[in-house]
This record gives sequence, C-alpha cells and structure tokens, in this order.
Amino acid sequence: MTAQAKAQLLVLGAGPGGYTAAFRAADLGLSVVLVERWPTLGGVCLNVGCIPSKALLHAASVIQEAAEMSTRGIDFGVPKIDASQLNGWKDEIVRKLTSGLDGLAKQRSVTVLHGIGQFVSANELDVEKDGEITRIAFEKCIIAAGSEPSKLQGFPDDPRIMDSTGALQLDPLPKSLLVIGGGIIGLEMATVYDALGVSVSVVEMTNTLIPGCDRDLIRPFQKRIESNYEAIMLGTKVTSIIPGSDGLSVTFDGDAAPDEEKVYDRVLVSVGRLANGSKIAADKAGVAVDPKGIIKVDKQMRTNVPHIFAIGDIVGEPMLAHKASYEGRIAAEVAAGQKSFFDARVIPSVAYTDPEIAWVGLNENEAKAKNIPYEKGVFPWAASGRSLSTGRSEGVTKLLFDKNTGRLLGAGIVGSNAGDLIAEATLAIEMGADATDIGMTIHPHPTLAETISFAAEASEGVITDLYMPKR
Amino acid sequence: MEVLIPELGDFSDVEIIEVLVSEGDQVQAEDPLIMLETDKAIMEVPSPTAGVVKTLEVSVGDRVSAGHKILILDDAGSVEEKTTSESEVPVEQKLASPSSSSMEVLMPELGDFSDVEIIEVLISEGDQVEAEDPLVTLETDKATMEVPSPAAGVVKTLEVSVGDRISAGHRILLLDGVNTVEEITTQPSKPIDPVEKLITTENRPDNEQIAVQTHPEDRIMPQTLPPVDNASFTKAHASPSVRKLARELGVDLGQVAGTGQKGRVTADNVKTWVKGILQQGGTQVTGLPDIAEVDFTSFGSVDIEPLSRIQKISGRRLQASWLNLPHVTQHDKADITELEAVRQKSKGSKGFGGIKVTLLAFIIKACVQGLEEYPRFRSSLARDGESLVKKNYFHVGFAVDTPNGLVVPVIRNVDQMDIFEIAASLGELSQQAREGKLGPKDMQGGVFTVSSLGGIGGTGFTPIINAPEVAILGVSRSQFQPVYENGEFVARLILPLSLSYDHRVIDGAAAVRFTTYVSKLLKDVDPLIEGLGL
Repeated sequence: MTAQAKAQLLVLGAGPGGYTAAFRAADLGLSVVLVERWPTLGGVCLNVGCIPSKALLHAASVIQEAAEMSTRGIDFGVPKIDASQLNGWKDEIVRKLTSGLDGLAKQRSVTVLHGIGQFVSANELDVEKDGEITRIAFEKCIIAAGSEPSKLQGFPDDPRIMDSTGALQLDPLPKSLLVIGGGIIGLEMATVYDALGVSVSVVEMTNTLIPGCDRDLIRPFQKRIESNYEAIMLGTKVTSIIPGSDGLSVTFDGDAAPDEEKVYDRVLVSVGRLANGSKIAADKAGVAVDPKGIIKVDKQMRTNVPHIFAIGDIVGEPMLAHKASYEGRIAAEVAAGQKSFFDARVIPSVAYTDPEIAWVGLNENEAKAKNIPYEKGVFPWAASGRSLSTGRSEGVTKLLFDKNTGRLLGAGIVGSNAGDLIAEATLAIEMGADATDIGMTIHPHPTLAETISFAAEASEGVITDLYMPKR
Repeated sequence: MEVLIPELGDFSDVEIIEVLVSEGDQVQAEDPLIMLETDKAIMEVPSPTAGVVKTLEVSVGDRVSAGHKILILDDAGSVEEKTTSESEVPVEQKLASPSSSSMEVLMPELGDFSDVEIIEVLISEGDQVEAEDPLVTLETDKATMEVPSPAAGVVKTLEVSVGDRISAGHRILLLDGVNTVEEITTQPSKPIDPVEKLITTENRPDNEQIAVQTHPEDRIMPQTLPPVDNASFTKAHASPSVRKLARELGVDLGQVAGTGQKGRVTADNVKTWVKGILQQGGTQVTGLPDIAEVDFTSFGSVDIEPLSRIQKISGRRLQASWLNLPHVTQHDKADITELEAVRQKSKGSKGFGGIKVTLLAFIIKACVQGLEEYPRFRSSLARDGESLVKKNYFHVGFAVDTPNGLVVPVIRNVDQMDIFEIAASLGELSQQAREGKLGPKDMQGGVFTVSSLGGIGGTGFTPIINAPEVAILGVSRSQFQPVYENGEFVARLILPLSLSYDHRVIDGAAAVRFTTYVSKLLKDVDPLIEGLGL
C-alpha cells in the first residue's frame, strides 16, 4: 500500500541548498515537504563535508602552531593524539548543527520525509524507505539532490581506498596516505593528515595543484607543503593499486613518477564530484539531464519543465554550499511567485589548506586568455605586521581592476584566513567598488584585512607601506 | 454597499478570468476583487472601500460591462469613512472603541527549546504595539530570539520579567483592544504609486510583459516594458539591491542611465525610468496610431463571435513579427511536372507502409536541402542584434489550419528523414493539430516554416515570418502553364513559391538564390528521392 502526501512545494534533498529553499518557501507561505535520503538533514556539507573537515582543520592548525612555537620559546612537547576522541568531538559538532536544522524545520512546519526520492511523473514523487513507499503529489518542485565523489575506474574495492567521506573517519590513523587528485578537497584532507603526523603524498594528473587558480597564489602554499609532505607528484597518474597485507602497492606513470612502486597504508581518491541527476528518475518528470548527471537551469533556476527547479551541485560547477543556498533562496522565491533572479556577479572559492587560498571573480589566467585589460595591485604579506606577528610571511593579496572603469573584477588571496578576507573583495565586486573606494576605506590596524586596502593602494601607486618605483 | 464594475474606458462585455475573494472575506480598500481580461490587457478591479464580502454576484467566465454588480460589501463603508475623517485622532482614542477585545499572548512553539531565559522585556504596560512588534527577547544556549506580537493592541498586563525562564504556552501578557480596531488603525488610503503597485503585482506565469492597471478611474491601456536583455543587465553598474528591484519591476538595467556616483544606477533611477515608460504608455507600441472605433450597430445588425484562445495568441505573435521584422517577399516558380509524375507513381509504391506522399513532403525535403546549403536561413538574430545564432538542427514547422485557428507543428530532424518519413510525420502531426492534441513541445524548436495554401488555390501571397525564425516559404496552387522551351510552348505544371524573409539577416540576392535552389531541386526531383527506388 502506498501512503500519500501532498505539498505545494516539494524539495528533494536537504543539503544547504535544499534546506534553505524549503525554509525560505515555508516563510513565504507555501506548504513544503522536504525529502532527504540520509537520516539527518544538512547534506554533504554538514555531515561529511565542509563542517567536519573544518573541525579537523582547526585541530590541524592547533598542532601546527604549537609546533612552530617550539623554536620561539614555548615548547608543548610532542602532542598525544587520541584519534577516537578527536572523531567524537567532530561528530558532536555535526550532531549539534543537524539537530538545529530539525528544530528550524519544525518551527516552520516543514514536513521532513526520510527516504530515497524518485520521480513518478511531473507532479509526483515516490519516497522509499525500508520498502515502504510514500507518494507525494506536488504542485512545484525544487531538485537539490547534490553530488557524490567521483570514483576512479579500474581500481580494486578495498576499504583502505577511501573517498572524502571515508577520510573524515580518522580512527585508526594510518602511517602513510596517498592523495589522488590535487584539488581543494584532497589538499584539505592532506593538511589534516599531515598535521596529525601521517606521511602524506599527493599525485595530480595536471601539472599544477588546484587547477584553474593563479600560479602566484599556489606557489606559497606549494612551497610550504613541499618541505612537509613525502612527495608531490604533478603531471603524474596512478596506473595500478594492488592491495597487500602490508599496505596498498601503487605504481605511477608521468613526469614525477617514482621508478618503483610505493606502498601506502591508505589511498584517498579525490578526483572531483559527480552530479546526482541520473539517480532520481528525472526523465519521468520530463526533466532533461545531461550525460554528466547535470540538470540545466535558467537564471530563475527553472529546468526545462517550468514548475520544476534545480539548484546546487546538481546544476553543475562550482559545487559549493554557498552557491547552493543562494540558488535555493532564488528558486523558493520564484516558486512562491516572486520575480527573483540569480544575478550575483561572482561566487568565491576557498581552499581551507594551510595557508588558505581564496579567490573570487576574474583571475589572471582567465584575463590573459580572454584578453581582458586589467590593472593589478599586489601586496605581499611579508610587509604585514600582523602576518609577521603570527609567525607567517608567505601570504599574498592580489586585486585585479578593470582597466577602463577602475572597478574591481577579481581578487586572489593566499595566507591565513584568506577565506574570511575574500568576503570583502566579493562585496566590493558586487557593489562595483574601484581601487579608490577600497583604498579610501579605513581598515583597522593591524589586521590581515588591511592587505586588501594596501593592494588597492598599490594598484593606484599611492601605497606607503611598500616602496614602489614611479610609473 | 454594492460594488459595481467601474467605467472601463473603451471596453465592455469583458471576461472575468479570476475571482480573488470569497463570501465572508475581509477586504481593504484597493484590495483586488476580480481580474478581467480584454484583448489588450489583464486588469484587476480593486475594492473601493474596506469591508466584509456579504454576497458575491459574479463567477469566473462571466462577461461583464461597466455598472454590472460584482458583490455586496457589508456595512464597513461607515468604518472606512470614520478612518478617513478621523485620521488626525490619536490612536489611543480609537482603540478605546467598544468593539475592541482583549487577548492572551502566549509563548509560541520554540522547536527544540524549553525553559528559556528572558533577557530583555521590550514593552511596558500601557504601550501601544503593532502586529510583529517584538515583545521580549529570549536567549537559548545557541541564539537569542525575539517573540513578536501576534496582533496590534495595548499592553494591559505584563506577566513576565527579565530573568524569568519560560516554555511554550507560558503567558507573556494580555493585549487589549485587539481585532476589529486593528483594521481601523491602518493608514488612511493614499494615492498609490504606480511603481509600488507594479511591485506587488503577482508574477504572471506566462511572463508576458503586461502590467496590471489598477486604477479604475484611469483609462485602461496596455503598459509594456521592453524585454530584459540578460547580457546588458549583467553589465549594469548597480548594487545587488538595485538589481533585485529592477528584476521585480521587469526593468532592463542596461537601459537605465545611472546618476549615482561614478554613473552607478540607483533605486530612484530605476523607479523614474519605469514611471517614464508608463507615462509613455509603453515603449514598443509608442507612436502607433489607433484605429478609430466604429459603432457598427449604427449601420445594421451585427453578431459578436469571441476569438479562440489560439487565435488570440497567434494574433499577438503575428503582429509582433510583422511590426518587428522588416519583411520582404521573393516570388518564384518551380516546374514540378516530373515531380508530380514521380509522386503519382509513389502512390502505388509499398515504401513505408503505403503512406501517401503529398507535394508538401517534397517541398519540405527541398527546403531542408536549401537550409543545408544556405545556413543563414536557419539562423536567428541575437537579442542585442550583434550576432547571428546559426542552428545546426533541421526542425521545420508547417502551418495547419484547424477549426480553432492557425497552428504550426514542427517536424524534428527532417535532414535525417526520407520522403516517406516526412509524409508520415506530416500526416500524424496534422491529425493531432486538427484534434487539438498538440503539446507545446510539438510546436517549438522550428528553424524554418512552410505555409502551403495550394490545396485551396491562389497564385501567390506574402506570408508573415514565424519569428524568431528568419524566413517562411509560402506555397500556392500549381497550374499547367505554357512554357517556351526549345522553340515551342509546352505545357508544364508550375508551382508558385513566395519566400518572406527578415531583411536584417538575409539580403535580396541570397533570397533569390535560395528560391532558385529549391525550385531546381523540385524540378530535377532526383536528389529528393535518392535511393528510394521511385
């Protein structure tokens, strides 16, 4: 027997995009059913992504900073690491946040249904849980079914070969780890394992870490990890992984491939994420899904079926929680009859590595490729009192301005807290601020945020904290 | 009081497409009551005053004219008058009116929380509060939150203080003078800013740029904003809040001149721009002289026949194309003597289950080969007029005359079909069209259209392009005509072709090359039936 339910708006997936959409729509007066396949709300971000990884990265930075102070007169000795307790602390943070979401859903009378959702038609969805099926009739729908880690084809099925979800379970800690894929997710987990004393190697197919990001932002980061990690193999591929009793034997091919096979306790595969478009029977609703599982949408987040919307990872790159939640808000408002559009100019990206790398809008690679005339302002943190007083000097703040209008087009920052600093540049781009606007805004001293106004001054040639030859 | 349909300007006998209130509803002055649709615009009829709907006298589908009774509003007229006349009277006095009652305000449901501490009390006894005004601030271990007032009124007794720990259902205070008085304290109605009104207007799903006119005293006319060009919208120097406002109003920010610092577009710039457009009565149709209205009944009796939905839609599209595209029509003649012989022969053929191959199938096949040879004929002009979008697919529309009006179903990927397959699709889609069973998808995606009137007659016509396509081939009736060949007149079957094209995209030489190419294919026929054994 099929149970029945009804909703003005059905939201499929309760990640940061889905729950934002559901809550916004409920606040606008729609009756909302939120369908989630996992037992808790929050999706990848809260459960096995942004949040738990940030908890572990905080632990990593405490260890790192304590170790650095040992040559500056404060020695804590070698840390004793209880991986199980650390795991528990991390899980408790996740539990607090997800149960907070339950409360927010309840306060708004959003009905939450757990189970796997599959479309039956353009106005019905079946939710299956433990063999029980609930059929939900909906007037409108927002698909927020997210993405999953891509798998590498042709490698054995072994519990020691993990994806990012597995890598968040630290207990027990391995002695050595190979990270396949030098993107943001792989490098963040590498940062954690390195700080916890694991010998870390990274292999990346292209010849740069974090492909797409400007080289001058990667360089300070790469320099720092090169001295800490076992190996960083760029332009190199893994050709085979053979599980053995003493570890995983891995062979390589490419520019930096070692001559012999290497043995690792664990391997983390972080080669990107795949949209879940092909897993929800979207064809039954008439929603078009491309071969990569991505659903195309317009500026109002509408799919090719006008009363069905899609948001977040499932509509394609960049697969970021803050993009998903913004899109969720737009879709909910349009579903409620408002004239909302996705008109944000830029979406910031952050790698929470040590040091952090963050960028937004235009980068230099793109400006050169597209022949966009720009003016550059760079401020090296070696001249920042605040940075030096935290024992770090490798950071850089770089701003790119439109050569004609003077408006900020893009920014890139590498250094501690770059992810927080990039927000100011993002606001400046949205507001159409130019170098004078930023430089003439008083920034508190001494802060890392100052480096943004210094970079603006540098582009105008009015900086006093550096000496710049007359132009 | 009776609420009547107001003077509608030039319109009468207008259809009610939506009734927005029910009996027993409380309405405010200017609240919309019903929606009317004329052939030019959709409009709302607002309530002239506040009150309660006693009886509703119309329903959806009714056709009404000025003076027709819509509904009866219960004696709230006097209340409304009181407000306007007493608008200077202090609020407290009005609240003391006998119709007021008191209300318990309880702690609302807090989700997971209970036993929460009050860290601030924001009102005192005797205070006047509005609905949604914060009453107390609570602090949980995760957040602080305010409890809003559920209604307007005066705080009679306050039953909590700072430091108290309370849970859902706990009484916070007693509110006096709630309910009916709340309506009275609302602002006396003020003239409504047309821009404000536009913002509150509901987003119509068909996304047509028709603004709703709400002032019954105004002459009703269509108010049209130009369509938004997303590319230029994105480039505008405007902050996120101004972009949001522009979207709500349907304004193309790219067209609004900024007067803010460094040319920034401000919210006021957007509003002023809209007012300018509204005063002009819309940009696109500005300057078109109206056709004088004639009272036909003064000359004799008349019958009124409402247009079908399809006729109304296609009428709008045809007019838009005819006004926006500079049309030129190229006439030509194709000798189809051989083709007709082949076609007659094909009737006996077993190809494709004995499908009867029509002349139109050959014409469409020839046109697709023409589209392959001359890609401009399958392009569209980009919205900004700066580039051409050339389509690499060969979906061809054909006009079908149905009892409800003209429709244009589209055959997909005609380049991959032979004559029999085209003929089969033609038959199937025409049948569906006549039965009214075509879905929207069956009529989308065409790159070129053929309109054949040859079955009826005619020697030539000037078809209107199915925009945003850039060309349409009109076909008239074939006739035997004397043709001078090798020193003598011979009888040949001649088919008149009329190609209308968008002169912004296609020049005259290209058009005549296209018709010549298509005519030659129809004359030689072999390339059209290659490999079919006909």
